[in-house]
Amino acid sequence: MANEVTSQRWLRGIVGTVALLAIAFYATALVVHEGQAVLVTRFGRPVRADTRAGLHWKLPWPIDQATWLDMRRRVYEGGHTEMLTRDKKNVIVRTFVVWRIGDVLAFAQSIGEEREAEGKLDGLLTNAAISTLGEHDLSAIVSTNEKDLQVDQIEAELLAGTAPAARQSYGVEIEQIRLERVALPEENVKAVFEQMRAERHQYAAKFRAEGEREASRIRSEAELEAARILAQGAEQAARIRGQSAAEVAKTYADAHRVDPELYRFTRSLESLGQLVTSDTSLVLRTDAEPFSLLQGKESK
Amino acid sequence: MRGTGGTSELARLGAPIAHLLDAAWSRMHWWVGAMALLYAISGITVIRADEVAIVQRWGRLVGNTKATQEHGPGLLFALPRPVDQVVRVKIKHVWELPIETLATSAAEAGYGDTLDPLVVGYALSGDQNIVHVAMIARYRVRDPADWAFYGPKADEILRVAVTAAMVRSLGEMGVDHVLADGRKDLIETASRRAQAGLDAAHSGLALVSLELTYLAPPRALAKDFDAVQSAYIETETKKKNALAFAQTVVPRAHAEADASVQAARGDAVAAQARAKGDAEAFLALEREYQANPVVVRERLYRDGVEKAIGRAREVRWIPPPPAGGRYEGLRVTLESEKAGTTQPSAVRSPEGTP
Repeated sequence: MANEVTSQRWLRGIVGTVALLAIAFYATALVVHEGQAVLVTRFGRPVRADTRAGLHWKLPWPIDQATWLDMRRRVYEGGHTEMLTRDKKNVIVRTFVVWRIGDVLAFAQSIGEEREAEGKLDGLLTNAAISTLGEHDLSAIVSTNEKDLQVDQIEAELLAGTAPAARQSYGVEIEQIRLERVALPEENVKAVFEQMRAERHQYAAKFRAEGEREASRIRSEAELEAARILAQGAEQAARIRGQSAAEVAKTYADAHRVDPELYRFTRSLESLGQLVTSDTSLVLRTDAEPFSLLQGKESK
Repeated sequence: MRGTGGTSELARLGAPIAHLLDAAWSRMHWWVGAMALLYAISGITVIRADEVAIVQRWGRLVGNTKATQEHGPGLLFALPRPVDQVVRVKIKHVWELPIETLATSAAEAGYGDTLDPLVVGYALSGDQNIVHVAMIARYRVRDPADWAFYGPKADEILRVAVTAAMVRSLGEMGVDHVLADGRKDLIETASRRAQAGLDAAHSGLALVSLELTYLAPPRALAKDFDAVQSAYIETETKKKNALAFAQTVVPRAHAEADASVQAARGDAVAAQARAKGDAEAFLALEREYQANPVVVRERLYRDGVEKAIGRAREVRWIPPPPAGGRYEGLRVTLESEKAGTTQPSAVRSPEGTP
């Protein structure tokens, strides 16, 4: 019985202690997660900001109060702003900003809420965009000539024109500003369409002319090449025939040189054979060979 | 006395709670023990095959490097909340985000020969032409800590970073290059710039691919662009036809030239063989002629005359001239080659001998 009473007392003590510790921990501990910050105020007066993740402490309510802030980066897209470039062209530009809370105390005191911060940023962005783009030609943003393009410089100028003010005035750290959209006012688009149409017609005519010229060049070159090849072939064939004729002549000459008189005789007979054809009419004397045999004569 | 009295008073006031605790403990101590055990192991987490886990202890990321911060698939032994907090991130899954900020819309049809940039999305090319672009960005988480704690919302940063990269990349390329053979360049350049923007924003995202689902000029100019395309195709067709002609005519010329040369070679070989044969035949005849000149000559002569006579169409025999050796008024009529007609002709030997 005495043991049971002792264990009950221990139990009560443990439970009571745990409960008290839990209440004390809950009232004084601040768990700051990664990507968060805590602003601690004492009777409403900011005393410190804990921006490092981990376990922090404060005095219990109502002395100290903690406000958690999201320190993650955020994206804010500005509105479409129409402005004049240096070369007096109307353009509509939209930028986006990647920002985060840089100074917790300044942010909490000057702005307090994310939505309100974006309103402040919009004003800064619009001013910076108008003044920055007014110092550059449109070709600094869109151009096929690489030397004209200055987008990096423009974005750096936009950042330089907004980041210090945002940091000092609102505790907002602007990390990057980019041109998200570059467009033309509705009134100017019609002229652009006309220009694009004229370009298309010009390109179509140019393509056709170039095609004709190129096709003609290819055909002419091919015909020239073919003629050159045929001429070379004819030349080579003529050379072969010439060499062959010379060799044939030499062969005949070598043989006929042995007995020129016999050659002339046989050649005459060959000529006779070739001259007399099925269309030839011959008139011969009856005392000539072989008719003379019938008359008992022989030719001499 | 006051202290003793106070203690006994507290004990009296706490007695119902103490009784309640005593009764609960005596009836539910196994349950309480089991719950305490379950709480103690509640931090054990199963990490799936496509995930990594990062652990926050009292809010602070555990581990100093990326390798020690990230825990791969398997069992992760973490302490229960609120001490540890486990964040599981699917790093192998590829997500998709359609981006249509620069794309046309059904509203474009209502504008005719103009466009309202606040309603209809488009971008300017480097030569200040208007093009519509629609894209699908595919991405995955590359850095779980950045993605979970430091970076902006994935969809937001991805949409603006890709749009800005596309606007800038289009703004330095000619519209014809973009619409014809420059798509690959455009995608590569825009992807590279978009990834740089994502990294600068500590988004923890990796752009896996960027796909153009629509890239075209405004509808109002579609016919004009089609006309250029037709002209281009026509031109290419003409070039291809010319190349086909060239690829036919040149080999044909080669073939004809080769045939000509081969024919010449063949003729040469034949002529030489014939000449050689003729020469050998002549030499053989000459040898025989040297041995029997009269007989050989007579035979050759007679053979030749007989063949000539046999081949002739017509042979007329005339008597020898009178003793004086001269023909006087001799007329010979020859048959014409044409049937049914006669073509008289006269042969007169002025010398009176045939």
